Amino acid sequence: MSAADATAPAQDGGRARAMRQMLRALNANKTSWVGIVTMAVVILIAILAPVLTSHDPLEQNILDKLKGPSAEYVLGTDSYGRDIWARLVYGAQISLWIGTVSIAIAMIIGSIIGMIAGYFGGKLDLVIMQAMDVLLSFPSLILGLMVVAMLGPSIGNLIFAIALTAIPPFARIARAPTVSVKERDYIEACRALGYSHPRILVVHILPNIFPEILVMGSLWLATAIRVEASLSFIGLGVRPPTPTWGGMIREGFEHILDSAWLSIAPSIAILIVVFALNMIGDGLRDVVDPKLKGERGG
Amino acid sequence: MAEAPVLSVQGLTTEFRIGGQWHAAVRDMDFQLARNETLALVGESGCGKSITALSIMGLIPKAAGRVARGRIEFEGRNLPDLDDLEMRKLRGDRIAMIFQEPMTSLNPVLTIGFQVAEVLRYHRDISASEAREKALAILEEVKIPSARQRLDDYPHQFSGGMRQRVMIAMALACQPQVLLADEPTTALDVTIQAQVLVLLAELKQRFGMSMIFISHNLGVVATIADRVAVMYAGEIVETAPVGELFDRPTHPYTEALMRSIPRVDRTSAELFAIPGQVPPISRMPQGCRYAPRCGLKQAICEQQSPPLEPLQGTATHFARCWVRAGGAA
Amino acid sequence: MTADILTVEGLRKFFTVKRGFPNPKTVTVRALDGVSFTVKQGEAFGLVGESGCGKSTAGRAVLRLIEPDAGTIRFAGQDVHALDQSGLQALRRKMQIVFQDPYASLNPKRLIGKTLAEPMQVHGLAKGKDLDQRVAGLLAEVGLPQEAARRYPHEFSGGQRQRIGIARALSVEPELVIADEPVSALDVSIQAQVLLLLRGLQEKRGLSYVFVSHDLGVVRWFCQAVAVMYLGRIVERGPLPRMFDEPLHPYTQALRGASPVPDPKAKVQMMRIEGEVPSAANPPSGCHFHPRCPHAMERCKAEYPAWKELGQGRGVACHLFDQ
Repeated sequence: MSAADATAPAQDGGRARAMRQMLRALNANKTSWVGIVTMAVVILIAILAPVLTSHDPLEQNILDKLKGPSAEYVLGTDSYGRDIWARLVYGAQISLWIGTVSIAIAMIIGSIIGMIAGYFGGKLDLVIMQAMDVLLSFPSLILGLMVVAMLGPSIGNLIFAIALTAIPPFARIARAPTVSVKERDYIEACRALGYSHPRILVVHILPNIFPEILVMGSLWLATAIRVEASLSFIGLGVRPPTPTWGGMIREGFEHILDSAWLSIAPSIAILIVVFALNMIGDGLRDVVDPKLKGERGG
Repeated sequence: MAEAPVLSVQGLTTEFRIGGQWHAAVRDMDFQLARNETLALVGESGCGKSITALSIMGLIPKAAGRVARGRIEFEGRNLPDLDDLEMRKLRGDRIAMIFQEPMTSLNPVLTIGFQVAEVLRYHRDISASEAREKALAILEEVKIPSARQRLDDYPHQFSGGMRQRVMIAMALACQPQVLLADEPTTALDVTIQAQVLVLLAELKQRFGMSMIFISHNLGVVATIADRVAVMYAGEIVETAPVGELFDRPTHPYTEALMRSIPRVDRTSAELFAIPGQVPPISRMPQGCRYAPRCGLKQAICEQQSPPLEPLQGTATHFARCWVRAGGAA
Repeated sequence: MTADILTVEGLRKFFTVKRGFPNPKTVTVRALDGVSFTVKQGEAFGLVGESGCGKSTAGRAVLRLIEPDAGTIRFAGQDVHALDQSGLQALRRKMQIVFQDPYASLNPKRLIGKTLAEPMQVHGLAKGKDLDQRVAGLLAEVGLPQEAARRYPHEFSGGQRQRIGIARALSVEPELVIADEPVSALDVSIQAQVLLLLRGLQEKRGLSYVFVSHDLGVVRWFCQAVAVMYLGRIVERGPLPRMFDEPLHPYTQALRGASPVPDPKAKVQMMRIEGEVPSAANPPSGCHFHPRCPHAMERCKAEYPAWKELGQGRGVACHLFDQ
């Protein structure tokens, strides 16, 4: 009987095909491409900050303070005479950095917690998920506020605070598919083959639930950037004079009546990034699981 | 067959769109169903047996499929010509269908009594209480124990076998001329399957209806059918009265299929496996569709599609094969 | 007389479930209630019965994929129930499982080659070139082309996936394979291919099987001995084909009679048994089968019949055979 029912399947490899399917699905959702391109431009600008501006974001030029846009200062200057464009692009570095690092931390820790809870089940699951629910019951801004107020404002504490607020949703999003995947025969086969629990979790379950975690990540990145801006706005974020978008809005706020652009420029930057990230997240989510429609970070 | 057939299908071709192109899932189906006859459509998954039933019922999903050609004559009308309203009046009344999954075919939030009575109220102009009485009578007919007490129960309170009985009751409520049964016992345990098969045979006699019984299980088919049509890759490859077919399987596919079943009633040392698998409908071979898996194939088999022809000396046994039935070779 | 490879005695597993709202009641489902059987070296032993009879649970309990509550399992002289983690690890090289659903038994995100290589890496059986060769050997053994290693499960048909599942089980060179309805999800012609493959492996590798199935025809062809289960207990056991030719227990007779045969002349034999399979959460008193049994007597309602050995490997639990 040999290669009996083995007619050759499709010619190309599976990974390439999965990739193409993903791209096709993303294509169906045109807005996600707007998001992807926008984010690519923002990230490029942040990386190329030294090339894109000749000004030092910290350099004060008291004689040129509160100037409108000109050839010298593309977006004008603030009350210390610092170049707003320079502060904006360097601020992008810091805002994106804080957002990405804190969400990466939350993603890793949250997924580990959620997978462990879902995989082992029982009392452990109950205790872990109750704890997560308690954390989840605080709005992320309030929780962040509490942490930073206790530990003091610094980039490290800010990252810690944002990560802490984002861990519970990641734990939840990782737990649910783990519970369903662990019941599958192929996981039982792993147990029958004598694989260790960590191996089953990392090698066999994680790849099956990773897309969902990634979607959550892109949606929560937007939230993280918003929380960072909010905390900086009320003075609990990164200390001045380091430029961040939230800090810039606050500084500009004092001159909102006569020099509105000081606040408007960083506000628009935040708006663009949050919109773009949500577009990407929505697109990814539709690709991964149409059932999740409407789920949002925040 | 002196009497006119109840249902007559001629040249039925049903197509589905795959990757922007139309492919035939069922091609040139011809068969007649006599009064009070059970015709079994048998074949492996993807052979088109369920598609045939859905085509008759007018239930081919419009977005992806269509009845491209052919006539389905029933009570003097050609079913593909009917509009939606006329078809809805017919379905559940003159032609009824039961499905494989008794677990999902009933609405979980409505009582059994309501669901059976609803069929009657939709198709007959009768009062609620009258419909309820008739529903009770038909549930007793399908032998639901203490049916009166169970009328207000919900589907989840019934076992799989009992749910299938409820499905049968709903299908028979309006005393249809034709019942289409799509793998009605496949999801059931063998002892329950036997009960349901006996019940179906009894009811068919009592109501004088005709039945198209779709199954992949030749044992079940041998038990219930009067006539059998074996399907492969969207075509009937052989059809004959049930005794004749099992005594003299002629098409190489039918023969191979019979030899691939391990039997409970005798020790068969040899088990025959058919090499390869059914081709996907988007990549059907030229000529005879079974040729790539056939041990008897000759040059002509791969060039020309054989017609469904009567075997020598019979008027009821047909096979679609150049080697075993046609005049070639 | 060949040696016994697996001896199961008094295996028990109860599941408790809470049902109802707002006052949940605890219900005990007796999935396995004192199951005993023996599998000989190189033999295919069938476990048959209808859904919910506990046959799959029995298979999984032998592997300790489900922890049994009580009973002993001896595999090649070793007490499986008493093994610690590392002992269990070693045991799982020798006992493997093949699943029913070919669509759920392979990790969709993993290349076939990796799925087959991983068990050998974990157990340190092979590495490097040797590993690749072994994967190739496994694929050839189950009748799949070498390119299969570089593909994902979704690219294969049900029958092919079942072959891959078998290859995965073979990768650790087991002596006993628990086959849990390995062909019930497949079309008839493909079913025969997989059965022939399993039979070939039994001969070539000297494998023993515990073959869980609801299909008596398949069991008759594949197995040398069989036990019939009903609501968590074995009601009859014996060698094949004799046991299906002369079934003793009324339930075995009913199963045999209800199993369809591809022969229109045999349909008159089609026996009807009344009633539904009761729930394992609430089995009938006495002999669990008595409400459906055509031979039920008074004592059947009160007392579960003791197991009787009848010689020649046959045994039955039925009051009809009390003398």
